[in-house]
Amino acid sequence: MELLALILIPFLAATALLAFRPAAAAARGLALTSTLLTLAFALWLWYTWTGVAVTGISHDWVPAWGMRFKLGYSGIGLLMILLTGVLFPFIIGTGYKQPTGDPALVNSMLLFSQAALFGVFMAQNAFLFYIFFELSLIPIFFLLLFWGGEHKRAITIRFFLYTLLGGLALLFSIAYVTLQTPLPHSADFSALAALELPMSTQYWLFWTMFLAFAIKMPIFPFHSWQPETYVMAPTQGTMVLSAVMGKMGIYGVVLFLFTIVPEGALHWTNLVLVISLFGALYAAVIAFRQDDFKRLVAYSSMSHMGLMCAALFTWNAYGISGGLYQTFAHGVLMVCLFYIVGMMYQRVGTNDLSAMGGLKTRMPRMALLFMLVVGNAISMPLTQSFVGEWLMFNGLWQLDHWMAVAGVVLIVLGAIYMLYAYQRVLLGPDRQLEVADADDEEHFFLVPLIAITFVVGVFPNIVLHLVDGPVQQLLNSFTSLP
Amino acid sequence: MSALILISVLAVLVLYLGLYNKKSWLAPLGILGLAGAIVLFATGWHIPHHLLAGMLEFDRFSIGFSIGMAAITLLIFLFGPDYYTRMQQHVAEQYALMLFSLVGGFLLSSYTNMLMLFLGIEILSIPLYVLAGAKKNSLRSTEASLKYFLLGSFATAFLLMGIALLYGLAGSFDLGVISAHIAGAGSSDLVLNFALFFVVTGLAFKVGAVPFHFWVPDVYQGAPTLVTTFMATVVKMAAFAGFYRFIDITGMPDALARIMVLLVLATLLVGNVAALRQTNFKRLMAYSSVAHSGFLLLALLTDTGPGSTVGATLLYYTFTYSLATAGLFVLFTIAKRANNGAEHNGIFQGLFAAKPWLALCGLAMFLSLAGIPLTAGFIAKYQVFLLAIGAGWLKVMGFGVLMALLGIYYYIMVARELFVPAEHPTTFVVTPLNGLVISACAIGVLLLGLWPALMAW
Repeated sequence: MELLALILIPFLAATALLAFRPAAAAARGLALTSTLLTLAFALWLWYTWTGVAVTGISHDWVPAWGMRFKLGYSGIGLLMILLTGVLFPFIIGTGYKQPTGDPALVNSMLLFSQAALFGVFMAQNAFLFYIFFELSLIPIFFLLLFWGGEHKRAITIRFFLYTLLGGLALLFSIAYVTLQTPLPHSADFSALAALELPMSTQYWLFWTMFLAFAIKMPIFPFHSWQPETYVMAPTQGTMVLSAVMGKMGIYGVVLFLFTIVPEGALHWTNLVLVISLFGALYAAVIAFRQDDFKRLVAYSSMSHMGLMCAALFTWNAYGISGGLYQTFAHGVLMVCLFYIVGMMYQRVGTNDLSAMGGLKTRMPRMALLFMLVVGNAISMPLTQSFVGEWLMFNGLWQLDHWMAVAGVVLIVLGAIYMLYAYQRVLLGPDRQLEVADADDEEHFFLVPLIAITFVVGVFPNIVLHLVDGPVQQLLNSFTSLP
Repeated sequence: MSALILISVLAVLVLYLGLYNKKSWLAPLGILGLAGAIVLFATGWHIPHHLLAGMLEFDRFSIGFSIGMAAITLLIFLFGPDYYTRMQQHVAEQYALMLFSLVGGFLLSSYTNMLMLFLGIEILSIPLYVLAGAKKNSLRSTEASLKYFLLGSFATAFLLMGIALLYGLAGSFDLGVISAHIAGAGSSDLVLNFALFFVVTGLAFKVGAVPFHFWVPDVYQGAPTLVTTFMATVVKMAAFAGFYRFIDITGMPDALARIMVLLVLATLLVGNVAALRQTNFKRLMAYSSVAHSGFLLLALLTDTGPGSTVGATLLYYTFTYSLATAGLFVLFTIAKRANNGAEHNGIFQGLFAAKPWLALCGLAMFLSLAGIPLTAGFIAKYQVFLLAIGAGWLKVMGFGVLMALLGIYYYIMVARELFVPAEHPTTFVVTPLNGLVISACAIGVLLLGLWPALMAW
């Protein structure tokens, strides 16, 4: 029942917002209440987690094609549910200080996408997964199309076509594997995981599936929609895209590739490792050269995603748990960073880094908050990212020392561009910019997120224990491969 | 049988009412008759029966299609009174011609004899030639009528040639005999291959497959919107029903499969790519109709003989496509009137601000045509996916996926207009009946998307 509530609460709230279109304050209040409710449900699921995968609802839908309405969650799914539950109140909260368009409509779109995202992370049937996967895109599409920045039409269309291309390739794969299951066909993940597809099939099936997730994350060379879209999108849209929707890609890799086509995944491991690490380095270098604050954060996000994807393909417990753990850290980090980008934009009126500088004395509180967030971005010890990066780095080291070297370079580059950005925003000679310091509302937004960063950084097991079991299970299934 | 007679008599009755100038009676009578026909068909659901010495067979497939066509015609008739408000003369003829055409559709969905196929196609088409030119004073309408007539008769000639060859080979018009002959003949029988090719050409013209699609955009654009709606929905259903019955008998011999693959690829490509650049809504819908024909032909391609689920897929696909198309054409008429007769895609601007419910209905229908999940259009396309993958047409399907992507693009771009604020003030006048038709179409599309089992048999 909790599972259905997670989908229905945001869905109903969104429908209400769309139908009645209340005034700004009421709309925001309703949206925030609904996300806090879902947060409570997500925390309840987390609190009652016993280490055993849960199936909540299972109803026949169209038995002939293997469609079932089956909701449940494993530890990995729960991690994603928790991520969505924790971040959405903040994403909605961003609208208070940094409003975008008509609050009723914008919040309604955000909530629709939240409902679909919960669906994605709870679906236990591949077909259902696909439906939610696509549905989460539609509201974001409208959000970008109507409330985006410059060139919104062309960029949104490109983004939409890119992700739909991946989605359709995924649908094609799902249809194919469903037809391979014994009669009566079933698209349940349990049935698909039991398939033993011939190697030759797994080789190509891996790519038709991976395409969808590689575009969603995105990793090199499927990334070209990402920087433009993140920059053009309204802050809330960028947050949903980077903090939550990108994680669908990571989740999908574990859910689909590692269980349905494990041999295909094993076969292509080196290629995927190389492109994701190369993409991560490439994005890190580009991030360093950016003058646009938002674009810099966008590239930094791409760089992190590349590392996470590489970590998944290390085939050891460190790498996979690290990659999954890092999704949470990265989600929190992205919401913080984009919020700060938005704050600076409101104060300076531009995202141009060269127009900022010397603000530290004028906004000391802001400088502190930003420093704490940057600490997370560059994986300082005691922060979430430190744990994640350390695990991922370990995973890479176990696989191949050179990969680990790439990982270290990545961490160093990350520190360089983030600290450089910090320097260009806040340090240097005073430019006489009349800016206000972070106010109470902004503290109210950032402090809880920073608190999460440190609490989960010091006690990583809060999150890590969710993925231990499933990751071990995955690894056991790998070792039994021929 | 009784339903066939009912509709034929109804059409004559409607003509007579026209003589006495009872314009306000026409639509209600037609709707009543159609509802009666649906009930009559439904009562025969579990009892497959033969008519006219076995030349027609009403099995579940044909009854399903007949009910579907009658239901869509009913929706169109509901829209009729409003559409014809300003027209004083010859309204009865239009209703009657549509009913006659519908009878042709019934024949097409149930024939077991090539004669009935020919009769069905002619009864379906001849009223349409007249209907397409119903706006006597409009050059476009006249052009549409003439073009449709010329190309249509050309295609009929092909069909007849094919039927004649089949008769020469098998010695009978009966599909059973022809089927037995095909089973006995080798795949290298040149005359047989030509016969099949000619019949398929004739049918491909009716469904608007490339390269026999040239009439589609001009006729859709030129014909009065109500007639276009009828052509895009009921006629398409009928043509595919007829096509299916033929393919179901012949199976898919290699020679035919080769032609069909080419048809599918060309239709998907041309339909979707051409639709990308359309600014006139009716032409867009015309190319979208061609594009959907591509997917439907792909479903047909997988038909390897009796017992497959292709028939059910075709019915589901064409019916849900028709629902969305009919609803959108009604919405288009409303928007067209609000914009002084303009037909470009931008006429939908401002609809969300003025009539939010209708705009959301329109969105649902566009998404259904595009094949976005939770709408019937998605389930329909997915069924085609499953059929094609099951039959091993993986590469053709891959191409279909890419084309579906293009499809999503152009539908979404028009759907976007629904939510863009209007540049100049526009007032959308919606009669309750029109609102009802649009809502029914949108709800139908969503309902069938959520519970596809509603239409399973």
